Amino acid sequence: MNGGLSTLPAAGPPHDAVLPAPAERVLDNGLRVVAFSQRNLPLVAAQLVVGCGGAAEHEDEAGLSALVAALLTQGTAVRGATEIAVASDALGARIIAASGYDASVVTCAATTPAFPQALALLDEIVRRPAFAPREVERVRTKSITDLALTYANPNALARGVAHRIAYGGAPYGHPLAGTAATLETITRDRVAWFHERFYRPDDAVLVIGGDLETDDAFALAERVMGSWRAPETPVGERPHGTIPPPRAQVVIVDKPDAGRTALLAGRVTIERRSPEFYAATVATAVLSGYSGRLNQEVRVKRGLSYGAGAALAARRQPGTFFAMTLVDHARAAEATEVTLATIRSLADAPASDDDLVTRKATVTGAFFRAIETVDGIASVLGEHVVYDVPLGEMQEYAHRVLAVDAESVRAVAASRLVPETFAVLVGDASKFAADVERAHGAARIVEAQRLDLGSPTLGG
Amino acid sequence: MFDCQRPADRGSEQGRAAAPGMIREPVTTVPTISASAIGVAPIRYRDRTLPNGLRVLLVPDRRVPSVAINVAYRVGGKDDPPGRSGFAHLFEHLMFKGTSRTAAETMDRLTEDVGGFNNAFTSEDITNYYEVVPSNHLERLLWAEADRLASLTVNEENFATERDVVIGEYDQRILAEPYGMLDELVNREAYAVHPYRRGVIGSPAELNAASLDDVVAFHATYYRPDNALLVVAGDLDPEETFAMVERWFGPIPTPRSPVPRVHAVEPPQTAARTFVYHAANVPLAAVEEAYHIPAAAHSDAAALDVLETLLGSGRSSRLYTSLVYEQQLATSAYASADLREHPGLFAVRVTCAGGVELAAARAALAAEIARVRAQPPDEAELARVRTQIASSVVRSRQTNGGVALELVRATTERGDPELVNGDLARYLAVSGEDVQRVATTYLRDENRTSVEYYPASEKLRAAS
Repeated sequence: MNGGLSTLPAAGPPHDAVLPAPAERVLDNGLRVVAFSQRNLPLVAAQLVVGCGGAAEHEDEAGLSALVAALLTQGTAVRGATEIAVASDALGARIIAASGYDASVVTCAATTPAFPQALALLDEIVRRPAFAPREVERVRTKSITDLALTYANPNALARGVAHRIAYGGAPYGHPLAGTAATLETITRDRVAWFHERFYRPDDAVLVIGGDLETDDAFALAERVMGSWRAPETPVGERPHGTIPPPRAQVVIVDKPDAGRTALLAGRVTIERRSPEFYAATVATAVLSGYSGRLNQEVRVKRGLSYGAGAALAARRQPGTFFAMTLVDHARAAEATEVTLATIRSLADAPASDDDLVTRKATVTGAFFRAIETVDGIASVLGEHVVYDVPLGEMQEYAHRVLAVDAESVRAVAASRLVPETFAVLVGDASKFAADVERAHGAARIVEAQRLDLGSPTLGG
Repeated sequence: MFDCQRPADRGSEQGRAAAPGMIREPVTTVPTISASAIGVAPIRYRDRTLPNGLRVLLVPDRRVPSVAINVAYRVGGKDDPPGRSGFAHLFEHLMFKGTSRTAAETMDRLTEDVGGFNNAFTSEDITNYYEVVPSNHLERLLWAEADRLASLTVNEENFATERDVVIGEYDQRILAEPYGMLDELVNREAYAVHPYRRGVIGSPAELNAASLDDVVAFHATYYRPDNALLVVAGDLDPEETFAMVERWFGPIPTPRSPVPRVHAVEPPQTAARTFVYHAANVPLAAVEEAYHIPAAAHSDAAALDVLETLLGSGRSSRLYTSLVYEQQLATSAYASADLREHPGLFAVRVTCAGGVELAAARAALAAEIARVRAQPPDEAELARVRTQIASSVVRSRQTNGGVALELVRATTERGDPELVNGDLARYLAVSGEDVQRVATTYLRDENRTSVEYYPASEKLRAAS
């Protein structure tokens, strides 16, 4: 029956995509507006990117930018939190605020007829937040509760420790969500100060796109946000710390109650706008996914874990390259060796151009899924803005990925991913610390209860 | 891969707002728009049925070089063989174990390794398999879907392993998850005769009773071209794609025997019923009240969807503002119009706030039900609800996967893909009087089954 089914047909060459071209204009108040038009559905998305985020906050106030973002939707001069929710539902809109290290972002999306009013609501939230003391307390309490839950998870703890090892006291070193101690000390006045200092039109970019012409987007931006006045103070320098040079080391967080040990190996690597970023992205893809090298070595060949993968963080200053897995405590030392050796294989046993075909497809496939929606396109453009990448690169993204060859993957790995990688293990140290030290020499061991992510040296 | 068809605690967000005493400017206007201003172009699909009965719907959209492929079989939890509840869902898992021509996990390799993904779900009425891949891989996935329709091969070993996986899923989602059992209990108590009473996930005892012979018989009975619907949306050329479909699916024969169908008719409920359960994983007491409603194809379906949003979707809904925010009797409150191929359920669920007696929360819920029965919503509230629904319809059409699934549901649950192009107009046509009419027609005491769900500790306390 159906003998024709015996052969799996071959894939043809990848198809090309035609992405909308972004246009931009600067309003008189300094607000940079980026617009694109894609008119297949009656939807418009916007994203206001404010040029400062967690990197701009002081060590002692870690979590301040996140608190500010969380409070924007919890009340304005004219509306309480519920009234904001009702207004947003009445428009069928979604408004979300969040902060990252390099920027704070407020997004909004709505159908075409509702969009002008949704943008006006976004504007109200951004320009006139109330920061009512009761809301500050409520969000503070919730943030502290969330932190306790987050750090019960060994993976999250490993990431926090890895940031400290990678950046020390430099701007990306402290946890974005803060610590219980820093959150306790932040006052309502400091929240208002951060907002006034950094949420300003002359250091912000508004991305608008979807079912409208770009000229109409510029006119709408002018009508809604043109009256936003910049403060007298000049825009400050971008936060720019001296990042410590990468150094191979092992840090163990002893957490006997962890179910399994979280293992993270990595280092600081390159900034998003580096010409090598695409090669580093493909190198990371060689390690990631079910068929990626890490999962093959860690799970498929050795059964050390349910899965393993790697991630590259885009940032304005050099970001991180992290490989992660979760293993039985007793096999954590073995998993460390396998993971470090697999990272080294990017340089020692480089992938061929043929190997790279499917790995590059995983990168372009994820990109094309991300830009299926107008919010997705706005978000990609917003990232380009934050990382000082030319906007036109969005349309070239897939081509740049496909142009990466085996030699450039090997080269970026050999210089920026493989050397001087550190390892962090969070788990029951009594089961693996001796084995790890036998292989790597003395490790730094910190008890989980004494660990302080608020300190550049981790406390303990 | 199991679809409980229940939205996850909508309206549960803990937004305590508006400090009293906060100084406000006096007038705040709630923005309004007319949902009728939201116009959306129809979904233009090509519709063809192969001689072997396979129906094929294709939606070309070339914005992004990827395609969403859905293969839906008209078989779900309600079609489980007698004494084999949970079988359709177990079978869904087995469809990933390889065939005579392919190894296990072939679907993962053909999708994840080229930048796509795949999965499946089983509902009461259908089993739907789907993949999203770069468009140059479309034919490879059509081949793989045809292959597992034509020749599933399951041996004792992978059958036993997968059955353990499904029972593990039951342990995790139904037993360990707080309130995981509540939906199962509601279906079991609300239906007296219709097989919807068995739910989708089934019971470990009946799953353990299943044999390899059952698997072979099930595949032969339901996995046939005339019981399947193939929908592809995205970067495709319709004629080329029809040719590919004919090449790979065309030779698969259709058995002569008809596909067995469920004909059970649930008799009208005549008196309100309340059931009380206790369980260990119930942090706070909860109640779910379910009312029988007609099938998804019924003309009241749109008004029931509007009623659902009005009562229980989001923080501006009546149940949230009244029970959660103002009276602080509940931590969450939501409504769900669960419209199915056969008559479904309109459910409202309330989870108590700490220290609140369930009776108090139920009384407040009853007052809201009485209110929606007593008078139609005003125009402003109705406008907000229409806008919420219209916006979510438009939003779901942004992805090829969303468009494909909408066509799958309309065709399998309501019998006609073209219905997708009338839904927005049907929502906009729902009047305040329509909402009141469906509330009085269906949200009647004698049509209600309630399940009260308490922490096990309260039972111990009551007993001692």
